[in-house]
Amino acid sequence: MFIENPLNSSALAFPVLECFHIVGFALSIGTIAIVDFSLLGVGMRRQTPAQLAKDTWLWTLGGLILMLFSGLLLFSSDPDMYYLNWPFLIKMVFFIAAVIFHYTIHRKTVSTDTPPPNGKLVACVSLVLWCGVIFGGIFIGFVYPGLGIGGV
Amino acid sequence: MLLSFVQWLQFTGFFTALRGSAYAYPIVMSLHMVGIALFGGMVMLTDLRLLGWSMRKHSIADVVNQFRVPKRWGLLLTVTCGFLMFGSKAEEYYYNAFFRTKLILLTLVLVQELVFYRSVYADPAALDRAPAIPVNAKLAAALSLLLWTSIACCGRGIGYIEPPLDKIHAQMLPHSGYEGEIALCFSSRPTP
Repeated sequence: MFIENPLNSSALAFPVLECFHIVGFALSIGTIAIVDFSLLGVGMRRQTPAQLAKDTWLWTLGGLILMLFSGLLLFSSDPDMYYLNWPFLIKMVFFIAAVIFHYTIHRKTVSTDTPPPNGKLVACVSLVLWCGVIFGGIFIGFVYPGLGIGGV
Repeated sequence: MLLSFVQWLQFTGFFTALRGSAYAYPIVMSLHMVGIALFGGMVMLTDLRLLGWSMRKHSIADVVNQFRVPKRWGLLLTVTCGFLMFGSKAEEYYYNAFFRTKLILLTLVLVQELVFYRSVYADPAALDRAPAIPVNAKLAAALSLLLWTSIACCGRGIGYIEPPLDKIHAQMLPHSGYEGEIALCFSSRPTP
């Protein structure tokens, strides 16, 4: 017996969840980008990347949790479609890689006040991974199962 | 006049190509989102600092002044990509209620900026000298958070409305009595 997902009985649920998803990623990826740009020497130059990371980690985590839970609910509305959607699968690969990278190598890089010499590389990798997540998310809506991008 | 402008805009060669391309349109949309993450992240952190909820170890002046220029770059990326998306479906956007609301909210953001410019944004160091964060600054931050979040949500809403352009066009035809003849012209066109 199938149980109907209550999300699908309301036309508003999906778009409202998407709004939470947007706020969540702006907060998490935005705060991570601030630290990354600091590692690259752009933006907040009067603070060290380590200071910025200490100031923003809680907001990053809050944004990630908001993004993750709204994302799981969005996924639950039509799991089969997402499973067959290749940008979604690429997005998940980027997302898992980005989260692991963020809480291992990235965290270690910004743990000391003078960032190690590979700080800039770490910042670039972090930015590329998170951009991959965003691009994957957008392309989900442009791919139809069995067809290429834009239905061609 | 505005209507004929948006119609002209979307049928320029550039926007016709953008509308028809399978990759360029979603790439522009993705870059719009990257801009939102960069700009939105900085806006939220600045506003949260003004509210006294984040980055309290650094002065308000430090946060506001250092984010000023990067925020402009983030906004420039977001607005440029937003304009490209608007241009490729300009007539639809013209009738889209969420797009209209979004434009009104963007105007309100500008008003907010002008109203609080002198008391908050022009001299953030003065806010640091005050014994507590002035109510004015907190109000400005709360309004900014509310407005920008609403703008992002309206943006998402645009994609959920598809104004019925064919019906709108049919209603706009002048009722001159020639409709029948025009239809006849098309139906009796010789096949090549």
